[in-house]
Amino acid sequence: MTEISAKYEQLVQDLRRDFRPQREWGEGRGLFLVIGHFLVGVAAGAWLFGLIFNYGPGLVAGFILAGGGGIAHLAFLGRPERFWKMVRHVRTAWISRGFIGLTLFLAGAVLYLPPLVLADWPWAANSALGYLGWGMAAAGMVVLIVYMGFVYTASKGIPFWNSPLHPVLYMAYALRGGIAALLVTMALFDAPSPSAASLVTIWIAVTAIVIVLFALEIQGALTGGNPAARRSVREMLAGRMAVYFYGGTLLIGLVVPLALLSGQIAPFGVGVLAAIGLFSALGDFFMKYTTIRAGIYLPLRPRQLRHR
Amino acid sequence: MRWGMVIDLKRCIGCYGCQLACKAEHGTPPGVYYARVLKDEQGQYPTVSNISLPVLCNHCEDAPCIEACPTGASFKWEDDGIVDIDHDLCVGCRSCMMACPYTNRYFNDQPAHYHQQGATPYEAARTAHHQSNVVMKCNFCRDRVRSGKPPACVANCPTVARIFGDLDDPTSEVSRLIKERGGFTLHPELGTGPSVYYLPA
Repeated sequence: MTEISAKYEQLVQDLRRDFRPQREWGEGRGLFLVIGHFLVGVAAGAWLFGLIFNYGPGLVAGFILAGGGGIAHLAFLGRPERFWKMVRHVRTAWISRGFIGLTLFLAGAVLYLPPLVLADWPWAANSALGYLGWGMAAAGMVVLIVYMGFVYTASKGIPFWNSPLHPVLYMAYALRGGIAALLVTMALFDAPSPSAASLVTIWIAVTAIVIVLFALEIQGALTGGNPAARRSVREMLAGRMAVYFYGGTLLIGLVVPLALLSGQIAPFGVGVLAAIGLFSALGDFFMKYTTIRAGIYLPLRPRQLRHR
Repeated sequence: MRWGMVIDLKRCIGCYGCQLACKAEHGTPPGVYYARVLKDEQGQYPTVSNISLPVLCNHCEDAPCIEACPTGASFKWEDDGIVDIDHDLCVGCRSCMMACPYTNRYFNDQPAHYHQQGATPYEAARTAHHQSNVVMKCNFCRDRVRSGKPPACVANCPTVARIFGDLDDPTSEVSRLIKERGGFTLHPELGTGPSVYYLPA
């Protein structure tokens, strides 16, 4: 069976179901969207904490990750050559806002970063151009942290995503991802910063917030009365996404970093900090992946026509 | 003017004539269904009945797909309320598919054919104007409607279960049927204002 006919057969099967899973975001080329959203979120978080802790390598990491996220987004699009047209509908579309945010962020970083890391650069970081770049990147960073959750909340066809908590949860992921990126960067540059202890403390606090928000979102989906949202939770906790959720999100993203943090597995050091960051980031990726893949479309049959 | 459709579930026999007529009219590739028919069973033995629910784009008054589209490729014609896609603007981000609560949008990602040997001459001619890697959906056969004909699914329904007309005109047949027979829309709680109504079975 060719890939096309397999996909066609899958669609025909899906169309027969009451609870049709969405497959466009997260499967096949759709995986690039998950990667793109993940990288861009981490990039914005890394930039934020890079600024807060005045840590240049963190800013560089943020810029590189954002560039990678942009490329992943382009790889996802059906018609990447038309990407620039995404500025047209900024009034209502969160994807447009995200695109503008990413453009601002990258352009601002190009203005702000080089004088910070290169000696002989035509302008200084504290020049007008440098400040302009700082402002553009900061504005872009805020948009990137905020917009992503709203992209999902605006998806009326997928009740599980259509939760008011989703944007807040994605903001928390961006912060957690940013801390993770900085921890990894510190190990790469073999430079344990005095801010590492503060970063770990913030990581614990943000992780606690993520857990609470996620629990609230699951509880809301289960008690909200929408059968498609309930089905999504079932897919995530006991269905086709369960392996990724328990193995990726819980084990890799939560249990392993906490065990490392407690010093039970290895003595605390730069390498362990990097491992905490890496596992935490991987866990966040799986969290986004499972949430997206667990999306179930609103059933079409009206209640009075359904036999169950 | 606002074009709309009424589908009489009492008359629909689930013959898939609308689905086939639509495919023939638009030459849609495999995996793209502007019109389709959902089937379900109702009741318990021995009083069991089959229910057919034909579905298509609802051409919503407040269409979530238009709001979600980053390029403006999804848009509404001002003069007749039909929701359409400008395929030259579509970037294939599929956000409209996630936003549509009626799941009646399809991504035409690769050139696909109905026969293993490739496109037949008829298929090639019918699909020549399609773009790949963009989202496709029903546009109420706007070209036919503008030339005074009803949409293909309406014209080909053997039981006359589909009626097409102006929802803004209180004297039109669609308005009368909705009023007299208690026409309902799918997911009215979402406030999208669909232009496709169903009459109870």
